[in-house]
Amino acid sequence: MPRRLRWLTPYLFLLPGGLWLALFFVVPMLVMASVSLQEGSLGRGFTMTWNFGVYPEVISTYSPQFVRSIIYAFTVTLATLLLGYPIAYTIAFRGGRFKNILLLLVIAPFFTAFIIRTLSWKLILADNGFLLGTLKDIGLLSPGEHVLATPLAVVSGLTYNFLPFMVLPLYVSLEKIDPHLVEAATDLYANRLHAFLRVTLPLSMPGVFAGSLLVFIPAVGDFINAAILGSRDTTMIGNVIQRLFLATNAYPEASALGFVLMAAVLVLVAIYAKVVGAKELTAG
Amino acid sequence: MRTRDHQSPRQAQVLAAVVLTIVLAGCGIAAQSPSPVATNTPAPPSAQPSASTAQPSATAAQTSAPTDEPTQPASVTPTPPITGHVTFGNWPLYIDIDEDTGKYPTLKAFTEQTSIQVDYQEAINDNTEFFGKIQPDLAAGRPTGYDVIAPSDWMVAKLIRLGYLQPLNKSLLPNFTANAADLFTNPWYDPGNVYSIPWQAGLVGIGYNPTLTGREITSFADLLDPAFAGDVGMFSEMIDTMSLALLANGVHPADATLEDAQAAQQMLLAAAQRGQFQGFYGNDYYDQLAAGNLALTIAWSGDISQMQLWDNPDVKFVVPSEGGLMFVDNMVIPNNVEHLGDAYALMNYWYSLDAAVPLTEYIGYYSPVAGVQERVIADSEAARADGDTEWADQLLQIAHDSVPTQEQLQNIFPYKQMTEDEERAWNDLFDVVVNG
Repeated sequence: MPRRLRWLTPYLFLLPGGLWLALFFVVPMLVMASVSLQEGSLGRGFTMTWNFGVYPEVISTYSPQFVRSIIYAFTVTLATLLLGYPIAYTIAFRGGRFKNILLLLVIAPFFTAFIIRTLSWKLILADNGFLLGTLKDIGLLSPGEHVLATPLAVVSGLTYNFLPFMVLPLYVSLEKIDPHLVEAATDLYANRLHAFLRVTLPLSMPGVFAGSLLVFIPAVGDFINAAILGSRDTTMIGNVIQRLFLATNAYPEASALGFVLMAAVLVLVAIYAKVVGAKELTAG
Repeated sequence: MRTRDHQSPRQAQVLAAVVLTIVLAGCGIAAQSPSPVATNTPAPPSAQPSASTAQPSATAAQTSAPTDEPTQPASVTPTPPITGHVTFGNWPLYIDIDEDTGKYPTLKAFTEQTSIQVDYQEAINDNTEFFGKIQPDLAAGRPTGYDVIAPSDWMVAKLIRLGYLQPLNKSLLPNFTANAADLFTNPWYDPGNVYSIPWQAGLVGIGYNPTLTGREITSFADLLDPAFAGDVGMFSEMIDTMSLALLANGVHPADATLEDAQAAQQMLLAAAQRGQFQGFYGNDYYDQLAAGNLALTIAWSGDISQMQLWDNPDVKFVVPSEGGLMFVDNMVIPNNVEHLGDAYALMNYWYSLDAAVPLTEYIGYYSPVAGVQERVIADSEAARADGDTEWADQLLQIAHDSVPTQEQLQNIFPYKQMTEDEERAWNDLFDVVVNG
């Protein structure tokens, strides 16, 4: 390439990905935006009426499921963080020559399909399954206890399914921390706790931020866990969207819900970035 | 300076993660989009220009209005060509299987007779889900990939309403004309069998496990009994659950008004809100009932017969005292199929006794083919003569189950044939029960 066209290089690198996004992200988004403003039915067809009223309508109709999804996703993010941080910390600082094997174990569930993993929890948590059956037999649970079809089952399933998304970014940022920094902190009379709070934790915040987003965003829109492990009282917004699309064929309402969900997630992520990630994202 | 060096790759990592997650979230939403893309059909032709400007997608150009044009050239071309291949999309557990080879003996016999290869797919787990899968192709006027499909009665009505099915040329279905049982001809969902011929049928009622209920179950009211809170299953398809609830309220589903549907919804909703139902199921209720996770549930009669034989001998089936329903699954040919002649040959084949009898002896549903019961009884007697009493007894049971009894039929009521708006209104009502 002639020297004077060098400035083009980065744009050429961006081109394939950019085209892909334009085709499979921007175009569908525009189509969905258009669908959400149409009115009609399968038989009569859908016509554009610029029906913006559908947005407040779906928000008021499905606000319980919205709030529930956000609470669940928040709980799941917190749970994966509390479970994932010690795992990532141990692998990064104490893993030694087992690091790779331990990381492989973290992603081992991915070798099984998402649905199969979730279905297996349905078997494990079944009323007379291995876990509850045994606990009931030895008298630790009363015979009428359920775990399936409760919020606990749905949140547990989500936590299990999304844990690796938290552990991996945490590991990457923890692994990069120079152990000498912690040594220096202790040399400067910090105890272990202070060294962790003042040095390790702040340096791992990018991992916390990335991991939280990777868990929160897919969890808030997930419908598989609620469909398989939940009941009507654990219906998440993803289940509503799926049902509106496929069972009711109410495409405008379903599309509108999709956009409301996306807007809600963007707002929540923006707030989170402001509170936690701002320094990391804007520094340097 | 060391930490400075780390700064920029870390930033890049965070940014990459943010971009990735936003793309992931986008895919999750975008993945839902194919159906409406193909269905953005401007109904009145006059509205087309304005509507098409709103469609940036290439598929929009291919959409065609599905209404008011049900007539396809099927009856014009008397004998469509045989291509040697046909794809049949059916429900699971709905055909005879050779346990050793995993092949389908009746389909093998068909291929030997006709040289037509059958691609048999267990494609339907839920009417609405399957509809969601094939609807974009049908709306766009493309082949769905299936030459014959087996939707249930109410879904046949919906497919007819939308103009998605081909009217059948009966001269290509001589076995149907000769052998169809009276009970299954001229059904409510397709008067005169213009678009559909039955595949198999059964009853919608209650399946229960007496060891868990502790008593015999007789009525729909039992499903709402607080004593069974949390142990009851319902169907996720609106039509069965709502129709049974209507019957429990003393209303015939076929005559039900919107007020009746609202009353039925209120009854179900009150029960749902106090945690009466463990879940709303498709075909997967089977495993929950067999495993003892459910004490009682809405169920299909044929499933319970199979469960008694193979999975859980305790489980029983009952038609609710307030009234039950009979479902009929049908063979239909969607628009624009690629193997029309082969599809007719396959549909005609199932109405020969040589195909219908082994099918019934394996799956045990109601057969729409006249004379099956007599042949199964004859096979039972032959087995007894050979000394295989166990198989003879089973065949006798199957023969008994292959035709509904007069007593059963007296308490069976037809579904309501709904307009699109009624269906939407009922679905919205039922949605509140299922999704809260």
